Amino acid sequence: MIVLGIDTSDYANAVGVVDGDKVLADAAYAAKTDSLEQILANIESTLQSAGLGLKDIEGIGVGLGPGSWTGIRVGVTVGKMLAFSTGKPVAGVPTLEALAYAARRESSLICAVISAGTKDTVYAALYRPESGVVGRIGEYYVGDVKGLTALLSGPAVMAGNGAQAYSRIIRQESGMNIKAVEAAPGGASIACLASQRLERGEKDDVLSLTPLYLKESTAKAFVNKYKSRHT
Amino acid sequence: MLVLGIETSCDETSAALVADGKAILSSTIATQLDLLRKYGGVVPEIAARRHTELIGYVIQEALDTAGKTLDDIEAVAVTSKQGLIGCLLVGVAAAKSISYSKQVPLIGVHHIEGHIFANRLSHPDLPVPHVCLTVSGGHTMLLYVENDCQYTLLGTTLDDAAGEAFDKIAKFLGLDFPGGPVIDKLSRQGDRKAFNFPRPMIRSKTLDFSFSGLKTSVINAFKNKVARNEALPLADIAASFQEAVVDVLVGKTMRAAEDRGVTAVSVTGGVSANSRLRQVFEETCKKRGIDVFFPNLSLCTDNAAMIAAAGYARMKLGEVSDLRLNVSPNVPLEG
Ligand SMILES: [Zn+2]
Repeated sequence: MIVLGIDTSDYANAVGVVDGDKVLADAAYAAKTDSLEQILANIESTLQSAGLGLKDIEGIGVGLGPGSWTGIRVGVTVGKMLAFSTGKPVAGVPTLEALAYAARRESSLICAVISAGTKDTVYAALYRPESGVVGRIGEYYVGDVKGLTALLSGPAVMAGNGAQAYSRIIRQESGMNIKAVEAAPGGASIACLASQRLERGEKDDVLSLTPLYLKESTAKAFVNKYKSRHT
Repeated sequence: MLVLGIETSCDETSAALVADGKAILSSTIATQLDLLRKYGGVVPEIAARRHTELIGYVIQEALDTAGKTLDDIEAVAVTSKQGLIGCLLVGVAAAKSISYSKQVPLIGVHHIEGHIFANRLSHPDLPVPHVCLTVSGGHTMLLYVENDCQYTLLGTTLDDAAGEAFDKIAKFLGLDFPGGPVIDKLSRQGDRKAFNFPRPMIRSKTLDFSFSGLKTSVINAFKNKVARNEALPLADIAASFQEAVVDVLVGKTMRAAEDRGVTAVSVTGGVSANSRLRQVFEETCKKRGIDVFFPNLSLCTDNAAMIAAAGYARMKLGEVSDLRLNVSPNVPLEG
């Protein structure tokens, strides 16, 4: 199955194309505030580099986040509206899972980490690599880096942009032996995982697909806190 | 030519199908009013999240209502200029994706130009040149409309938009959100002359507006009553405040019409739904032999039909966007 994968949760437009587990193209274009401006041109040139057009695509994979809130809205909206208008099935992939998948050759547990924007806050989750796939263990984590020590009970590999710095903090904090691999949630990883889900018949509903923010907006969090104090 | 319009610049997620810039086949608006009430106004991050959830549904609904499919669409017009950046980008991302996969032209539209076209949609016979007052919670502008898509800015607000003043006063008086319709309704039971609030800048030669001084006067009048333990005549305060806003809007528009020697004015935007504003405009214009035009009530607030109509007009002039279309939250209207 030929699947297009996109992820715009970080400061890049990650776009990839796979045919089953064969990578046909995997590109990461620098994109900051112009993520929206570049995304369709980047999709087109990635498809071209694989000798394909949009009509050849049989499914679409989209990175749901967490990451930059604006970034994931661009990627999720583009992914779902491309699926909507081409009639192809779509599968959302948590960006942390794509990150762990990129590091799946590691033998120990993988702790996928993404910066939550503010200095020391991260989104994270633990994954167990097993015969070429990764399975999440436990809940998603949102909090400061030091708090990750509670999540990690044994040897693990930290994967993500900034993994070196995060693992250093953990080592200082707990003395645990945490390795680091710089990895990114690439478009091909998203496409592979989406392809696996689509092959299993697990497509998402194209209209209701929404980002995985993992964090309430500050306004909503404020109101909820206010309500819990006053009821 | 069938145009799909998309509008997500603020708090309404909207999609519409408009044929030849004239016939509205469907206009779907998912309002975020419930959220606005809860938070007392637009919270950009919350509005952007809601747009992302709703965008596919409103487009599907607009297609279903019109009995069309995406294959029937010949162009996509989307609000890309003027609005909340995170909100705009949801609509533009959707529009670009549809344009790319269906290989149809894409047109980025200025939100204010959409409001101007709400009147063109409602009145195909609207003459040019004319003077247009476009007034909402986000802006208050006087424009000389020489031709469709050809504008000269005559005046704008120096502080609050008129609709914003309505919202702030309503909030201060403990009324519901949004303030415009609530004050309009309450004013019907009040005395418009009970308080003599200032008409800011009504005598100044410029065609600019200012509403913050008026807002302060209203708040002070209210506080004086409270300090003296007097009864609070909310309906009178609302009616007198509304009358001051209406006087300024009508007065400045009449001056602009006179300056430009036009015999037609159009009034558009959310505040153009205000019943007292419509009444005073009708009366004043009748006396002066000027024709006045208002959009149908459903086209006063933000909607995608007006965006489709404006996009169609721009496309006829050969102005289309490419796939690199981005959002511009704050740019002047060109033309
Ligand atoms: Zn508007």
